[in-house]
Amino acid sequence: MTESTNEHIGGLKQKKVFKIIVLGDSGVGKTCLTYRFCEGQFLDKSEATIGVDFRERTVRICNEDIKLQLWDTAGQERFRKSMVQHYYRNVHAVVIVYDVTKPETFHSIASWMQEVESHGLSGSPRVLVGNKCDCGTPESRLATAYAQRLADKHGMPLFETSALLDSEYDNVESIFMTLAHKLYSKQPLRVISVEGEPGYGVVTLPRQRRPPKSSGTDKCLCS
Amino acid sequence: METINPDSELDETCNVNGDCTLLMKNQSMDLNHAKNIDDISTPSELKFDEDFEFEDPDVTAKRKEIEKCLENPNLVNLEQWQSFAKSKGGLIADEYRRRIWPMLVGVTQDEMTDPPSLDELSTHIEYNQVELDVKRSLKRFPPGIPYEQRVALQDQLTVLILRVIIEYPHLKYYQGYHDVAITLLLVCGDRASFPLLCRLSYGPKAPLAPFMQATMQPTQHLLNYMLPVIRRADDKLADYLDKAGVGTMFALPWYLTWFGHSLNRYSDVVRLYDYFLCAAPLFPVYVTAALVLQRAPEVFACECDMAMMHCLLSRLPDDLPFEDILVTAKKLYDENDPTDLEGEVAALERREEEARRLDEERLRQRRAVRAGGGRGAGRGAGRGGGRAWRLLPRSPFARGAVLAAAAALLAVYAYYRPDLFTRKRADGADFEGLLE
Repeated sequence: MTESTNEHIGGLKQKKVFKIIVLGDSGVGKTCLTYRFCEGQFLDKSEATIGVDFRERTVRICNEDIKLQLWDTAGQERFRKSMVQHYYRNVHAVVIVYDVTKPETFHSIASWMQEVESHGLSGSPRVLVGNKCDCGTPESRLATAYAQRLADKHGMPLFETSALLDSEYDNVESIFMTLAHKLYSKQPLRVISVEGEPGYGVVTLPRQRRPPKSSGTDKCLCS
Repeated sequence: METINPDSELDETCNVNGDCTLLMKNQSMDLNHAKNIDDISTPSELKFDEDFEFEDPDVTAKRKEIEKCLENPNLVNLEQWQSFAKSKGGLIADEYRRRIWPMLVGVTQDEMTDPPSLDELSTHIEYNQVELDVKRSLKRFPPGIPYEQRVALQDQLTVLILRVIIEYPHLKYYQGYHDVAITLLLVCGDRASFPLLCRLSYGPKAPLAPFMQATMQPTQHLLNYMLPVIRRADDKLADYLDKAGVGTMFALPWYLTWFGHSLNRYSDVVRLYDYFLCAAPLFPVYVTAALVLQRAPEVFACECDMAMMHCLLSRLPDDLPFEDILVTAKKLYDENDPTDLEGEVAALERREEEARRLDEERLRQRRAVRAGGGRGAGRGAGRGGGRAWRLLPRSPFARGAVLAAAAALLAVYAYYRPDLFTRKRADGADFEGLLE
């Protein structure tokens, strides 16, 4: 309708609410990922998202409570155009999800990036998430190095994870915490250096930039 | 589902830490579906309907009437069936619905044909999307349904959907269509659901047809009737919703699936379908309005914020009084015909269009600042400008003029006082001099 929120992108500190939009093709696990982060468990009867769903969680950064609002969007193309537009307003950060077992969902990233750009969010913190790394065989999964190359090209950190596995919970956590810290410190995402910032704030960022288990980018193409 | 349905006390406050959409859904889901997928493979009956220990005498009387009519359905006119479907309690039980739903939309026995096999249809371009959504429709099946039966039903569901979009290639599948299809399938079976779903999807008055166009624009337009309807009934509520900027997205799944996607109680869903099957195509939008009106106290208690409001409204409690809501919706419809509302809807859409345009303009400005303007001063100006933006005149031309003037002044100022922008150190030295 009219002005939707009274917070301003530049004034992140005023409300301490960070709005994160989660994008990606249908069925890549956007809902499960946000559910895992907000609820700490796997959503075992996930349904297609119609329109936009909302979930939130409060996290603590530098002794300050920060509210992360996750906007979980429908993956089907027809919802993107006219309907989801409204929800890009005042977005602070972007999560783009693909399914590591479905290359076509990875190839759509280009069009998702375009969409992100068209909403003026190319300067905002963004992360790329390869979900469902528990599925399929190593050979059938999209090679980490391949994904890493794309992530580097766009200057985004890459995470490979599984919303299903309890053991991956920390990784899911660090996806959103990376964004939260970045937003909190108001730095462009690429400059995740511990120096220069209060070190306390960046302690829980162990996995950015490098995929968790890659043993060398040109040696092993499948994680 | 309602056999173990709790009296819902699910608190709708959503500011608490953590999820506020799926948490409640999940809680109630767990109660309704105590079993997980593996347990479902233990055989039990496919059964949704409540075991009535006590039945309202009115309902018992209505049952008798319906049964009597069903003995000689050819002698009963459409108005009679519609009256059963719309009046309190609707068609009561699935055994009646199975026979009456097709009659409500004018489907005949001859149209009920055997479906093709799934293999024949799996090359369809929409097959993957449909399959994906059908696979994830577990929540819509009766709790305790045997595994094999569920899988068979899911295959039937995929076939049903594909059959319709093959029959009418210009109709596009949308996520949520499967929620309508499964409801028809569970009640009427695969032979009858095909002509039924066709009737709902194709034709000038087909209620689902607008959802299946090339874009969602027609759907968005129809959903825009909701707020004007609310405003006619409760000005303050409409103002509050407007102020929060909540939009209509929270009601989108309600409308697209006739609430099938959003309600946990199967009995509520089929009750609404009884009505919708013989109501005006736009009637479900009036039901969404009535539902929001019903929840007005919660809305007023909610923080006037887009996210919080979206969250509150999109989650439907399990104990909604749908009989009352339907009565309200009917009243709203009778008093505010869609044609009466066109002006208000058009005004609303103009405002939205304007807001969208301003957004785009703001975006362009921000980009221009980032790309062209100096790093330091330009950035700061961009940010401050964002906040000051709403103080500027509304017309884009006037805004442009003001911005141009501001930029010119800034340039002149910078020319005369370059020290302010470049010679901070010198400034500092000056100040030191002053302090001495």
